Amino acid sequence: MFRDVTFNDVSRVDTLHDACAGFVMDEDTFRAFYDRTARGVWAYLARVTGDRQAADDLLQETYYRFLRAAATHDSEDHRRNSLYRIATNLARDVRRRSLLRPTDLVGHDIERVTGDDRTSAAEHSTDVTRAMARLKPRERAILWLAYAEGNSHREIAEVLGLQPSSMKILLFRARRKLAELLSPGSKS
Amino acid sequence: MKRIECEFEAEVLAAVIQSRWPERVDPELREHALTCEICSDVATVAGAMDTTRDEMRAAIVVPDSGRVWWLAQLRARRDAAKAAGRPITAAQIVAFGCAVALLGACFGATSTWFQTALGALLTSAKGMDMNALVPLLVEHGALAACMLAVVLLVPAALYLTVGRDHK
Repeated sequence: MFRDVTFNDVSRVDTLHDACAGFVMDEDTFRAFYDRTARGVWAYLARVTGDRQAADDLLQETYYRFLRAAATHDSEDHRRNSLYRIATNLARDVRRRSLLRPTDLVGHDIERVTGDDRTSAAEHSTDVTRAMARLKPRERAILWLAYAEGNSHREIAEVLGLQPSSMKILLFRARRKLAELLSPGSKS
Repeated sequence: MKRIECEFEAEVLAAVIQSRWPERVDPELREHALTCEICSDVATVAGAMDTTRDEMRAAIVVPDSGRVWWLAQLRARRDAAKAAGRPITAAQIVAFGCAVALLGACFGATSTWFQTALGALLTSAKGMDMNALVPLLVEHGALAACMLAVVLLVPAALYLTVGRDHK
């Protein structure tokens, strides 16, 4: 009826226990952190990839990698920046893979997030989405982090793996480009 | 040199974020933004981002934190089990290699045909110049090619199979 537990079983159980103990935080801390950050991370992923489905998939992956990363964080901001950095790298990987599959990431998919009603707010959101889709992924990321997430130049550089000294000019160019696309005369 | 920042940029940004732009700001700042490309861009872009972010966040439905934690645990366990199984696979490869070598040694030690062929090969190889290899290769070329293919292909096939299992 009962099977003898072998040495192999015991060592496997230990391994599984160790796997969860390897997370950077316990369940309660994680859940509180997730509740504070998940919507922002999803919106960022959706903006950068231009794909709602990709954002759904990458959200779980982002938090998993964050939990498994053997990193210590000095502060909540540092922890948050690490999370966004993981999300950035994952979005970059998806983009690279999508180059092989050109039907993916059409760039307008996240319009569905705001629904189909043609209210002026929804139309405005659609205009912004279309204009954003015409930017490079890095430009989208810079603008979103700067103006939607309120990050400093140093934080944006840390998340995107860029030199802090180059952030001013990159932000200026991306902002100029989007402002032109959003201007009434633009064909975006 | 083209300007890339303006001293009033931060003020404009703060007004946009606090929903004071453009009605509830200093008229001078508003006037300035009309003529300053940088401040005008900041107002346009920050306003657009702010509105879009609020709309998106209101509409986003993310998975429950408990579910994400549970899935992460499951995956960590699966990864740990896979990692624990990896040395076993490596040991299996080594065992397979040893078995093949042993089989080859037994075959070499017991087969008179193989020993005769090997002896003849060694005898001819002693005083052989390179030109003597040509007729040998012509005679047993197909066999040599097959053996070479096996030697090259078997490790590659083994590597690909094991590598695929680990992905």
